[in-house]
Amino acid sequence: MQSSIKNRLLCSIGAIGMLLSMSPAVSAEVAVIVHPSNNVALDKAEIERIFLGKSKAFSSGETAIPTNLAAGAATRSEFEDKVLGRTSAQVNAYWAKLVFTGKGTKPKELDSDGQVTEFVAGNVGAIAYVAASSVTGNVKVVATF
Amino acid sequence: MFKAKYLGYAVSMAAALFTSVSYADIKFSGYGSLVAGKTLGTVDDPLNPGQTRDETFTADFYDVGQYTNDLTFNAESMIALQATTSLGEQLDFTAQLVAKGTDDFSPEFDWYYLTYKPSEQWTILAGRRNIPMYYFSEFSEVGFAYPWMRPPSNLYWWQVTQFNGVSAIYDFTLGDYASNVMVFYGNEYSYDNKEMKYYDRLYGGNARSVDEFWKDILGFNWNVSGDNFDVRLVYFTNDRDRTTVNADGTSTDSPHFTQEFLGFGGSVNFNPITVLFDWNLVKYDDAYGTEFPTYLVSVVYNIDKFQPYISYSKADHKRKKVPTDDLEEHYLLSYGLRYNFYPSAALKIQYDNFVDQGDKATGWAYHGDSRAVSIGVDFIF
Repeated sequence: MQSSIKNRLLCSIGAIGMLLSMSPAVSAEVAVIVHPSNNVALDKAEIERIFLGKSKAFSSGETAIPTNLAAGAATRSEFEDKVLGRTSAQVNAYWAKLVFTGKGTKPKELDSDGQVTEFVAGNVGAIAYVAASSVTGNVKVVATF
Repeated sequence: MFKAKYLGYAVSMAAALFTSVSYADIKFSGYGSLVAGKTLGTVDDPLNPGQTRDETFTADFYDVGQYTNDLTFNAESMIALQATTSLGEQLDFTAQLVAKGTDDFSPEFDWYYLTYKPSEQWTILAGRRNIPMYYFSEFSEVGFAYPWMRPPSNLYWWQVTQFNGVSAIYDFTLGDYASNVMVFYGNEYSYDNKEMKYYDRLYGGNARSVDEFWKDILGFNWNVSGDNFDVRLVYFTNDRDRTTVNADGTSTDSPHFTQEFLGFGGSVNFNPITVLFDWNLVKYDDAYGTEFPTYLVSVVYNIDKFQPYISYSKADHKRKKVPTDDLEEHYLLSYGLRYNFYPSAALKIQYDNFVDQGDKATGWAYHGDSRAVSIGVDFIF
């Protein structure tokens, strides 16, 4: 009897542990990167505006080219949560409204951190994010989250 | 249920249309809703005293998508395929092929327009689009873009929702806020209008068709958005004409008038609660001084992947020059839950309580009360 209660307790704790481990863990730091020649200061709110298509250019006047990692990438979910303050579904709902009414174009998508840093290194207006561990010498980090 | 042959036909038609543009890089995307629903009881038939009928809940006025006691997928299930291709520097062409359950899923091009972007600030859209009447009008069929099963249908009751015309959008920054102003002009010649024919039959008519003309639609839409809010103000005016083609082939013209549409709505985020609202007034310069004041308020609670919500929407019909309170009037109280079980698919379940407050004696209570349950999945791709 006693032992069965203990077992149940252990089972419940195990189940809760599993549930907790399913929720997004506090994972790698996300680094927001731009071209090395880009000297504008960017706060979180401005990065958010650029990635939601509300700001189309940097304060320098240079056209911004926001770039996402592919849907489902862990770093992308992390960025959407920490910087955009939205779940992936909410970000998708936001863009669905714009894309299907002709009022906006979603940021381009690249498959890997490597492709992203390469793109940012080669485009003056590019702004993107990668796992902080993926940052290379030919891009500039403007913020980490 | 979903007619695969139609979809195949739709896709191949779209493909055939676009592959002829040799150098084109075509981006396909789309959205859809698969929704089943039914009403829960019977009511006294407001237009046939002494008889009862199924409660009828209109989920989609424009397409006459209705729920009765028989479970159906056809009232509001739909799928849309959007194709966009660049025609050159700053010039795109976009078309949406839409297949709706209310049309047995036969595909139609509901949207097609050219987008010209001469600068970062300016966007010119020329072609066929939705009229930006209510806050959700332009994307009223993109179920994935809002929490509810559908925007509160008793506000979205117009027999015309689209137009052919030109819209010019100017994007600018207002302090910390993103803002845009859209000016639009166009016409809509809706021959054999589905909703108007439905009403003709409902009141015992036998017209061949009712043709509805909204001419010289001219207006502006001003949108301001910040981190936690998005609001818009709209005003437009248009000429309204209607021709009823009678069973014997003769035509009857309804009196011509001008209508004005005013609206203020949006969404405000008080994390974790989102409040959605819209207030609108439609005025005719007709002999009655017809007015339709409507409003909606909805509260959504955001808990991770779940969004339980409640919404209240009220529509009224008044006559300023012939004061009477006894015309069409109804409210809709809805409760539901959206579950984002996938980043691009949401499961929704909703209960709707439609209360008809119209005047029975004069036939204005033609909807009758209804209680409906619907469950569905909205997705984007």
